[in-house]
Amino acid sequence: MTKRTMQEATFLILTALAAGSQHGYGIIADVAQISGGRVRLRAGTLYSALDRLRLDGLIGVDREEIVDGRLRRYYRLTAEGSRQLAAEAARLQANAAAAISRLGGLAGETVR
Amino acid sequence: MTDTAGLERGYRRWLRWYPRSFRREHEAEILAVLLAGAGAGQRRPEPAECLDLLRSALWMRLRPSVPRSNRSVRTTVTLLYLGAVAELAAAITILTTVGDVRSNVAEANPALSEAEWHAVVAGQLEPTAVAAGIAAGLWLLMAWALGRGHRWVRIALVLFFGVNASGLLNGLIHGSALYARQDLAVGIALCLVQLAAVAGSFRQKLAGSPPGAGPFTPGS
Repeated sequence: MTKRTMQEATFLILTALAAGSQHGYGIIADVAQISGGRVRLRAGTLYSALDRLRLDGLIGVDREEIVDGRLRRYYRLTAEGSRQLAAEAARLQANAAAAISRLGGLAGETVR
Repeated sequence: MTDTAGLERGYRRWLRWYPRSFRREHEAEILAVLLAGAGAGQRRPEPAECLDLLRSALWMRLRPSVPRSNRSVRTTVTLLYLGAVAELAAAITILTTVGDVRSNVAEANPALSEAEWHAVVAGQLEPTAVAAGIAAGLWLLMAWALGRGHRWVRIALVLFFGVNASGLLNGLIHGSALYARQDLAVGIALCLVQLAAVAGSFRQKLAGSPPGAGPFTPGS
């Protein structure tokens, strides 16, 4: 049976957490940076995704801080989250390599 | 300095759409993120922000609160949603096949008068269609409740299946003329979906939640 592929937002959130724990706004900024500004998560979308990822055991809460009187909760990748992110990255890489290879093959052909 | 009090009040109003348990844990945190992302001089939430919060809040209320790894529960929830669709299809089919039913009834009872036919429609067909519509709502409720970990759903599911299956059997034995071929097909499909959902819910009961599978506990 084929395994469900990861949604792009999920992939980017996990990628943002791969380098270390981050708080909500940090994740939004990092996702925007990773995607070259293409994906701009809104707070509602982010927290739906974070809640789902916590439920699925892919992320966990690392720590909490109060900054300027506001709560910051930091999230980190779990071992299972790392494993699934690595698997998805490998899958995307293989697909991209196949596409690039074939496009390269086409580009290499002489246009008559 | 931007006056954030009004903006914060605005965000809080939209955050009320979230389930209480979620707000208890995350409201302060989301609020901080919303305020950090607000534009300079922004005095109220933007329409796109409101829409995003509303959409996410409704999704949080409706979606199953079981991990994706808990396949038996998620499959059963999907079956329950299918049951709701099948019930709706049954209601629509009953209403759109009244002509066929009349032919069947007339075949079984050639002396059927107009008044008797109206009595059949008002006394049996219309209530059945309305009941199917209500049943669709109950299926949705059961899907939601099972997804939130409410275990009473299994009992409700068995009762519901029993009522539906006995209704279909009773109709077939005593008044099969009241069924058009399409009604029968939808009715049987519905019973099969229900049976699969019952089996799924009991399989899940036997299997139980895997350790560390997540909060399969009643949500708010």
